[in-house]
Parts: sequence; structure tokens; C-alpha cells
Amino acid sequence: MLRRTFLMLATSLATACAASQVNAACSPDYTGVTLTVASQTGPYIASALKLGADEWTKKTCGKVNVVEFPWSELYPKIVTSLTQSDATFDLVSFAPAWLPDFVPYLSEMPKEMQSGKDWDDIEPAYRERLMVWEGNIYSQSMDGDVHTYTYRMDLFSDPKEKDAFKAKYGYDLAPPKTWKQYLDIAEFFQRPEKGLWGTAEAFRRGGQQFWFFFSHAAAYTNNPNYPGAMFFDPETMDAQINNPGWVKGLEEYIRASKVGPPNALNFSFGEVNAAVAGGQVAESIGWGDTGVIAADPKQSKISGKVGSAMLPGSDEIWNAKTKKWDKFPSVLPGPFMAFGGWQIAVPKAGKNQQAAWDFVKTLTSPEVSGQAAITGGSGVNPYRKSHTANLQLWSKIFTPEEAKEYLGAQSDSINAKNVALDMRLPGYFSYTEVVEIELGKAVAGQTTPQAALDAVAKEWNRLTDEFGRAKQLAAYRAAMGLPPKN
Amino acid sequence: MMRNDPIKHVFIWPAVLVVLAISIFPLIYSLTTSFLSYRLIPPIPPRVVWFGNYVSLLQEPRFWNAIYTTTLIAFIAVGLQYTIGFAVALALNARVPGERLFRVALLLPMLLAPVAVALVARMIFNPTMGPLNQLLGRFGLVNLPFLTNGHWALGCIIAVEVWQWTPFVVLMMLAGLQTLPEDVYEAAELENASAWQQFWGITFPMLLPISAAVVFIRLIESYKIMDTVFVMTGGGPGVDTETLTLFAYQEGFKKFNLGYTSALSFLFLIAITIIGVTYLALLRPHLEKRR
Repeated sequence: MLRRTFLMLATSLATACAASQVNAACSPDYTGVTLTVASQTGPYIASALKLGADEWTKKTCGKVNVVEFPWSELYPKIVTSLTQSDATFDLVSFAPAWLPDFVPYLSEMPKEMQSGKDWDDIEPAYRERLMVWEGNIYSQSMDGDVHTYTYRMDLFSDPKEKDAFKAKYGYDLAPPKTWKQYLDIAEFFQRPEKGLWGTAEAFRRGGQQFWFFFSHAAAYTNNPNYPGAMFFDPETMDAQINNPGWVKGLEEYIRASKVGPPNALNFSFGEVNAAVAGGQVAESIGWGDTGVIAADPKQSKISGKVGSAMLPGSDEIWNAKTKKWDKFPSVLPGPFMAFGGWQIAVPKAGKNQQAAWDFVKTLTSPEVSGQAAITGGSGVNPYRKSHTANLQLWSKIFTPEEAKEYLGAQSDSINAKNVALDMRLPGYFSYTEVVEIELGKAVAGQTTPQAALDAVAKEWNRLTDEFGRAKQLAAYRAAMGLPPKN
Repeated sequence: MMRNDPIKHVFIWPAVLVVLAISIFPLIYSLTTSFLSYRLIPPIPPRVVWFGNYVSLLQEPRFWNAIYTTTLIAFIAVGLQYTIGFAVALALNARVPGERLFRVALLLPMLLAPVAVALVARMIFNPTMGPLNQLLGRFGLVNLPFLTNGHWALGCIIAVEVWQWTPFVVLMMLAGLQTLPEDVYEAAELENASAWQQFWGITFPMLLPISAAVVFIRLIESYKIMDTVFVMTGGGPGVDTETLTLFAYQEGFKKFNLGYTSALSFLFLIAITIIGVTYLALLRPHLEKRR
């Protein structure tokens, strides 16, 4: 009897020890939990999610299944799932612009995640603006997106090139301050016979093209004297996309298409990166991936020569209120938070919400996200202060000079006073589809810039009326960080 | 005696109900939706607009452009498929050496998924990295805007359609050719009829019924083209290569404008029916002559 009791005690003790060991290994313990995440097709973002998944699995013993969809299919797949309230996805990764459409179906971020060291480390542009919708937080940034300028340092520092440029244009060859200078530089380096072209931008419908156009236009339309009026008048919700600032932006975007590689009109962002990394172009604009890919010797012919700067700007900006050009004493840089960086959220219908938010915490932790940010092709660009402050982290891929310029451009752009936010509105695809169509026509020379943008404005106003002007106005003001209109 | 046996209802009604559930009900639901202003994103409560969606569509230049583009692709592609397919079938029927190998090889494109074919085509026509432009460059020719110019892009889509679906025509026409009686040709040869005369006097008229069926099937299928265009051009540049099905997809699954998309689907159905009925009406006198 005594022997049996002793045996039972020993067995219980062993079981308890084993259990405590399991719990220690899995903290918090999500053994048996499998999270399904909707993502765009990798490597961009999907590989970052997998990196986070591996870390989360090590920590919690839970599993993450990343389901990938082509970019053009991601929105319909997520919308269909959310509106049907099915629990297909425990997490969805998406563009901030889609947030207004998704908000009714998303769970709020737990309050305990909205404070602390890791929370404060997120750049305010994301934490206080892009992650917020009508005062609440439904999503977490997992990528930082702002358009910056990339150039070939070897060409820009070549004394022969510098002299020739100055002789032709009358000013020094350097990263451009204005879009006119940007186009001058592109024109100067346009040498097809030597396999070198001026610039590379996305011009293909469905190939992120309109964000590149928005970047040009931001310099002329994001007026600090009338904030939030870049896309719509924040008082009336009248479309602004056909005002003289936008027309100027489109004219320059079209000019850029003519100083690029042959058939640049078929370029999406992927082709832009290939052209830059292949050393085919002297300069380019785009997301931070360009710099990281171009610096990677495995993927690039110009590693060690990658310069970065903020987007060019302008010293005159259209004022949507006075309907006049406002003149500024100096050039105002025009950074544009194109796309705004991938976000991740947890649907209300999800069955593992607690585990899902815990995964978000791991995925976006400074350590895991910092690693993703320096991995070429992960699609993750800096969105935390620690990402841009840690020069040592970036020394793995950049030379000190490259790192200084790259991180400086990222940080200065995100924190610029006049940084332009991307449009976020319910029915986003309806608004951007017509932009894509008319841009295609304008770039192909089938219509004039003014006529193309007049057509877009007409459709935007019609859509706004159809969706409800008051509702859209309230949403637009919220997206632009403006107080509700009384 | 068996006709009045009530047991027949046990066998018939489940089938009728299944057909109703999977075919008629969605059609009726879709027709009802076409009379509503109904958006899923942003959520707008359904509102009856009767023929409002149809009127908007008929006034929409993009709709007419999609009809024009689809018709252009369908008619040119099917015309070429039929001509080339018939010619290849005649060649194969003439017992050329290696005929069996040709027959199998020619069928391969048809067995591939259109999405895969379109992806390969997109790579081939890629402006900078595609082999076609590189080949042209070797001969000192200029880089051609295969997918960035509306006319070229349409040409590329038609070329892919022809490449993929000509084998179907070959297969059908070859089957038809092999059923033709030998004695008619022997008689024609006794009369010293040339090969050309034999073709126009015997082969073509005798294959007219099967030709009519093949062209009809291909025409209807071509009107439904979506995947090839979606992958190769996305409907661009602008809307130069946007077909009716792609337009419906954009409205339905990008903008979730359900009422409008349902109306578009019904207009598409009407257009296809008109084309089909007209085609059969035009061919009827010729087909009846053959009976």
C-alpha cells in the first residue's frame, strides 16, 4: 500500500514537473492553436510574416499558417471573408487604405498593447495617424511605407559627370530638391546606347502606378496652409484631383515615363527595383525596398553605391481654399506616405483572437521587425524609431555612408512636418480604379493630363454622392487627422 | 401502365429541386439584384432602382468599349483559329509522316490552364526581359511595346488565344474529315477535279455542319475570355483590352457593386444570345441545304 502511494506521488510529481517545463517552453502556451493569416504572395510581406511565425512558434508552441494571394486578389478575398463573418482568417494583412472598409469587422487592439516601451517606439506617423480610425486602434503597422529617392552615388560623385551636368544645367549635380531638377537629372543620364536610362517609376495599371503619380502631385498639392486638402476639400468633400497642382504633378509624371528604360510603361514596382539593382537607371523613386535590394550584392550590381534622399518638393503649392498658388520662401520637401505600410489586424469573427494579438505583438516587436527590415525582399521598411536609430543593425547590408543616407531619408520623410498621408476612404477601390484607367490613357498620350484628371474628379464626386457625402467627408477628415466637422 | 405510377415523382423531384437550387435560383436572385442599387463596400442598404443599373450601363462608354474589345478579340481569334485549324487538319488528314506525333503535340496547348499560358505569354512579351524583344534586338530592330500599346496588346492577346485554342479546331475538323466518304473523292478525281475544286465542292460543304458547331462553341467561349486578359494586361493600358467579363469582375469583386454587376451580367447574357441566334439564323439556309 505504502509502495503504491509512493509510486503515485512520484508519478504526480513527475507529471507536474513535465507540465511546468512545457509551460516554461511555451509562454504563453498556445499548443494546439493554428493561426491563419491572409497575406499577399511572397516574398514581400509573406516572408516577414513567416519570420514572425517562426519566432512565435518557438515562444508559444502555436502554429501560423500564412495563406498567400496575389496582390490583386487580396482585397476581394479579405472582404468576402469579413463580410460573411466567417472565421477563415485569424489575421489579415492589408493596406491602410482598406482599413475604413474593414473596420466594422475588426476587433480592437487590446488596451495593454497600446502602451509601454514597444508601443512608444513606433513612429508617431503610424501610431497616432495611420493606425487610428475614429479614435480607436484596430490594426498594427507591420511595415513603414514612405516614398523616398534613390540614386547611384558613383554617377553623382563622378567629377566628369558633375562638370558636364553643371555646364548643361547651371547648377550642381546632387540629389534633387525639386521635381524639375529630378527630371533634369533623368534627362542628363538618358543614354540608351550605353544601357543607362534616367529614372524608373511604376506606370503599369495594377502595378502600384498611382502611388508614384501621387508622389509627384504631393509636392504641389499638400499645402500646410490648408491641411488635409490634397485629395478632397475637407470642408465640402469636392474632389481636388483636377486642380492645377495635380495637373502639374501628372505632367511631370508623364515626362518621367519618357526618360526611363524602353517600355517603362509596363513597369510595376518589381520592375523598378530590378532596373535600379541592375544599374540601368541613375535615379528612381519608390518605397524603401529599393534601397535595401540595391544594396544587396546578391541581388544588385550597384551595391555599395546606393544613395538615398527625401522626395523632391516645391516652393509653390496649390491652395484648394483660395484657388491660388501659395509661394513659400524655400523649397518644401514633399514626402508622401505612399500606401502607408502594411498593417495587420484581427477579425471579430476569428476564433483565436487572444492568440492572434499575441502573434501581432511578436511579429511587430523591435527585434523581429528589425530583422525583417534589414532583410531584402521582406517588404518591411522602417516604422519604429529603433529601426532607424540602430546603425549597427543596418551595417549588415549598407556601407556607413549608404546607411546614413538611407536611414536619414526614411526618418526625415516620416517625421517631416509636411508629410502627406495617403488617401483612406470607404470604397477606396472605386476611387483608385478610375485613377488607374485615366492615368493609363494620359501616359499613353490618348488624352491630355487636364482631361484625364477632369474625368477622375467627375467620377470621384459622383462616387462621393453615391456613398453619402456627409459620411465620406467624416471619414476623409478622420483619415487626414482633422477634427470632426460640426 | 408505368406512366401513372406515383413512384416517378420520387425520382424526378429531387433532380428538379437540385437543378432549381443550383441553376435557376441563382439566376433569379441575380436578376432581382440587378434591379437594386446594392453595394457591399462601402455597405449601402439595397434600394430598388428598377432599370436604373441597365440605363447607367447603356450610357457608360466603358461598357461599350468592353463590348467592342470582346467582339474584336472573339471574331478575329475565332476566324484565325478556324482558318489555321482547318488547314492543319487537312494536312494531318493527308497522312503526313509523323502525323501521330503532330497530333499529340498540337493538343498540348489546349490542355494547359489559360492562366499558365497567359503567364508564359506575359514573360515572352515582357518589354525588357522578354525573349521576343531580345530576339528582335539581335536583328537590330526596335523594342516593341507589346503590352503597353493598346493595339499591340490586343494583338498579343489574340495571338495567345489562337495558339491555345487552334488545336481544338484541329481536333474537331480532323474528326470530321475522317468521316468523309472516299467514293465522292474518287468520283471527283475521275472527273479531273483539282484539289482546290475538291475542297470547295466536297470537303468544305460536307464539313459545314461541324464547322458551324466548332465556330459557335469557340465564339461563345471567346466572349467569356477573362483569365488571359487579366494576367497579361489587367485590361490596360487604360481600358484598351478590357473585356466584358473583366469589367464585370472589376465591378463585382473589386468594387463589390453587386446590383450594377448583376445588370452587367444580364446584358452580357443578352448580347451573347443575340450573337448566337443571329449566327445560327445566318447559317440555317446553308445547313438546311445540306440535309
